[in-house]
Amino acid sequence: MSWKLFWLLVEASRLTIILSAVSISLGFVLASLVCAAVMSGNRAARAAGRLFVSFFRGTPLLVQLLLIYYLLPQIGLNVPSEVAAIVGMSLCTAAYQAEILRGGFVSVPRGLIEAANMCGFSPAATFRRIRLPIAVQLTIPALTSEAIMMLKSSSLVSVVGVIELTRMAQDLAASTYRPLELYAAAGFVYLVINIVVAGLGLGLEKRMSWGRL
Amino acid sequence: MTFDLDLIISFLPDILRALGVTILLWIVGSALGILVGFVIAVLRRYGPRGLDLALLAPVELIRGTPFLVQIFLLYYGGPFIGLSLDSVTAGLVGLTIYGAAYYSELWRSGFNAIPRGHIEAAQCVGLNRRQTLKRIILPEMTMLLLPSMVNMTILMLKETAILSIISVPELTLAVSALGTKYYAFVEGFAILALVYWALVEACSAMGRYAERRLSKYRFAAT
Amino acid sequence: MTEKPAIKVEKLVKRFGANTVLSGIDLVVPRGQVTCLIGPSGSGKSTLLRCIAFLEEANEGLIEINGEPLGFTSGEYGERNRLPAAQIQKVRSHIGMVFQQFNLWPHMTALGNVAEALVTVRGMPRKAAEERAMAQLSNVGLSARAGHYPSELSGGQQQRVAIARALALDPDIMLFDEPTSSLDPELTGEVLNVMRELAQSGMTMLVVTHEIGFAASVGSKIVFLDHGEKIVEGRPDEVFGKPRHERIDQFLDTYLDRGAATLL
Repeated sequence: MSWKLFWLLVEASRLTIILSAVSISLGFVLASLVCAAVMSGNRAARAAGRLFVSFFRGTPLLVQLLLIYYLLPQIGLNVPSEVAAIVGMSLCTAAYQAEILRGGFVSVPRGLIEAANMCGFSPAATFRRIRLPIAVQLTIPALTSEAIMMLKSSSLVSVVGVIELTRMAQDLAASTYRPLELYAAAGFVYLVINIVVAGLGLGLEKRMSWGRL
Repeated sequence: MTFDLDLIISFLPDILRALGVTILLWIVGSALGILVGFVIAVLRRYGPRGLDLALLAPVELIRGTPFLVQIFLLYYGGPFIGLSLDSVTAGLVGLTIYGAAYYSELWRSGFNAIPRGHIEAAQCVGLNRRQTLKRIILPEMTMLLLPSMVNMTILMLKETAILSIISVPELTLAVSALGTKYYAFVEGFAILALVYWALVEACSAMGRYAERRLSKYRFAAT
Repeated sequence: MTEKPAIKVEKLVKRFGANTVLSGIDLVVPRGQVTCLIGPSGSGKSTLLRCIAFLEEANEGLIEINGEPLGFTSGEYGERNRLPAAQIQKVRSHIGMVFQQFNLWPHMTALGNVAEALVTVRGMPRKAAEERAMAQLSNVGLSARAGHYPSELSGGQQQRVAIARALALDPDIMLFDEPTSSLDPELTGEVLNVMRELAQSGMTMLVVTHEIGFAASVGSKIVFLDHGEKIVEGRPDEVFGKPRHERIDQFLDTYLDRGAATLL
């Protein structure tokens, strides 16, 4: 396989990275809201949050993408397929991230919150100074795994016609008739990206490595 | 965008057959994945160090790349190295390999999570290595690993949908085909999502039930 | 205010579901003295302490801190009326609490743990708060460890930081919930010494403990609980001296190895 073909894959991986990064970030914002809903005192909000998490974790991302891809035009939103892909990926990862965040907050030991109560912290101060920083630290490994999961899952947006890494490999495999090399090379590019992300996650973890609980 | 009941009923046999393929691929793929994963984990833990390193590479390769790319490589690339599989076989083989990598990591985490003291206690009362594995390690691991195994198995079900892309005649493919024929994608995929959702919820309900039944084996607080 | 006891508990009842943990406890904690709550595990002593800290809400009964009602007041017809959260925090500000599990915040240094509430709750400037925190840390002999995170400290050091954290807020009552129970035996001494010094300085202390030796030597009043009831209370020599209540006898038998041997 020539360097030229490989370079085309590397260039296509830019879109893979952008789509994933945007979806993971949007998903995180959405996940914070969903997590707040699930942990709130409001029963309706809790039920809605749980339903959201259950649905998007309970169905294949491929089906979600196809559904959104065909649904958006039907409700009058003619958007490029990249946007449909981002919507689908963001919703899906939001459900997973919401569960991860909830797990983080639940794992903050009660005693640490009681200590804050005894020191006179208001609920808002307890959240800002104690619960949030600890929950964030606890969830970094799981959020890193989820980011890697999304990077891999982004290959599915190739079916709705987004020319990202997998789709580029597919197109090149069809035109050059060398699927073995091209898919192996695509896999290699994914692997490199994921190793970098895993390394970033580890670095972040180390930087926040004050106290194991 | 109207629902035609007769139309749906006329598709029912096709859909049910496709659902059968999905469930079969899921169950068989997961079972094989769990089994092969176990063998990999045991070899990596108890085998020679070289074997551990030799198995590390493929496991990390599988875990670091998308399932779709693996399937493409196997199905489209396979024939070039004399591995011509029909789509169903390729799907099943791909699913098994993919699952085995993840399940092997779960098994390994299970082995690591069992306190050394439990194994030492078993040796002290005279259990040999095989007996320790069978009577102590495996039962303890079942409890430890059940939630993550159920999660992984749910993931396997969702991954079967990806096999539609290499035209394995499973549920997602069947519904897509009908969608194309009648131009009813949204309805089709919405119902499809509901079917997967129901399967996933049923599977996690079963997992929770098993966890409750086994809860008396939970580790005692120390 | 001097004639009012530091803590007054009246007919306190606490249930967890169908399980009654405290069945009508009366307790007076005099000012400037050390009161020790002892009893077998499950006797309700920690629950009583947690009710006094308002970390648990009692089902019946009233608590007064320095003569001020905590959480509830009794109404005209003997019913309990709930007080607003601000009132609870105000009364609580008289209380410092030390937990069995230390409960230091893992993402802050020892100094950060002690200074945090001074900044966040009292609104002190960070620098002034840290100076005050440093003084508290040196009182418990830990100024050299100020920059360490809790995970880098031994259990005994962590508990001393926790004591400094509570003292930094200038409480006039200190509650200790089994402060040495999760420490290795060789580390309990340093914590008990800090508590002993605190007692000598005239701090009002209510201590739940299994350290019978500490209770007997430092406590001015011993309260023995069993099955959620107050069985005996009095000066150490009254409670531990002969003739002894039969249940104290049984209790001491099981605690021979905890410094109770000298009392028999």
